[in-house]
Amino acid sequence: MNEELDSQLSAMFDDELPAAECELMARRLSRDEDLKSRWSRYAAIGATIRSEGGVRLNTTLAARVNAALTAEPTTVTEPMHASVEPHRSRQRVFASRWWAPVGGVAVAASVAAAAILWVRFESPAQDGQIQAARAGASSGPVAVATNTPDSYVVPKTLPRRSIVPSTQLANYVVAHSEFSSPVSRRNLLSALMANESGTAGAQTGSDEPTEDVNDDAKSPQ
Amino acid sequence: MSADVSDLSLVRRVQSGDKGAFDALVRKYQHKLVKLVMRYVRNPAEAEDIAQEAFIKAYRALPQFRGDSAFYTWLYRIAINTAKNAVVSRDRSPIEYNIDRNDATEESYDMQGRMKDSETPEGLVLTDEIRSTVNAAIESLPEDLKTAIVLRELDGLSYEEIAAAMDCPVGTVRSRIFRAREAIDRRLREVFEGGLGRTEDLG
Repeated sequence: MNEELDSQLSAMFDDELPAAECELMARRLSRDEDLKSRWSRYAAIGATIRSEGGVRLNTTLAARVNAALTAEPTTVTEPMHASVEPHRSRQRVFASRWWAPVGGVAVAASVAAAAILWVRFESPAQDGQIQAARAGASSGPVAVATNTPDSYVVPKTLPRRSIVPSTQLANYVVAHSEFSSPVSRRNLLSALMANESGTAGAQTGSDEPTEDVNDDAKSPQ
Repeated sequence: MSADVSDLSLVRRVQSGDKGAFDALVRKYQHKLVKLVMRYVRNPAEAEDIAQEAFIKAYRALPQFRGDSAFYTWLYRIAINTAKNAVVSRDRSPIEYNIDRNDATEESYDMQGRMKDSETPEGLVLTDEIRSTVNAAIESLPEDLKTAIVLRELDGLSYEEIAAAMDCPVGTVRSRIFRAREAIDRRLREVFEGGLGRTEDLG
């Protein structure tokens, strides 16, 4: 028998073997019956020195446990690298500290995206209800739009445009231009000008921003 | 040196599906566990049955063991609970024994336990022979080896503490303890391989 190996086994029995060597020795010990027998005798020597009265040193307990566990399913779980190798443990903790806020941001972003999608799905019906409330019972086309929330067809007459005068709206847009991007500002202004001159520019797909501006414009008033 | 690292190495192997590693843990702690259970039951054979049950419970629960405490501490709790439950289920009162090795009543208690023990007389003789062999081997050790192994096994000191007590390097302590064990083990092997006719496995 290799003396160095036995020396390592003795140190491992006393929990005095370095972790890296323990890994290798544990692997050998679990498979090598000679090492196991020596390991058992080390335990018996310790029990004798401690004068453990009543304890049978020639016990067959381990063999009985082994036989009982033969029928047991093999348990496979996530290895505990953290406890055995402290430096890896620190690395994992460090990594988790980095990932924790990133994960939190990712969750928050997911929730925000879900909320936006929900609003977009819900908005046609809500718009219809709001428009119906604003337009009152006299507005026939808007009432039709309320009953058909799946339809995105814009009614020919937009009653809200009559609520906010275009000149007033244009003044608002110009006054708040520093808070809007140049592109959207240009689009809004061109849409307003087109609307002012009687063209149908607002019906060509630029309705949503125009509607938003109308809503924004109403709130300060 | 972090404590319990060798046990955790074996636990990791068990958790990755290596039953042989659990066998090593059982062999290491079987005597301690039986002694522990014998605080609750008199009969060594009954204590072994309870210890066996505790080991099996530990094996089944091992996937949940995260290593927050030492393996033996965790095993100790399982064994205590198993022993208490066994006593309750048999409608007995727990009996707390002081099994201090210096206690004068130990010998009578030990004999009482033996009287109820169901093991064979040959088994008892073998246990006695193991004890006498180990004790004789320890007595014949050089003083530095004897001191090192006794400080380790009886007083439970770490290698570092033994090195401080014996005023020598930790490496020397490791070597002395190993040589002491080897000397005792050489005699012990003769008991099992020397024709007693009882080749029962120590494990």
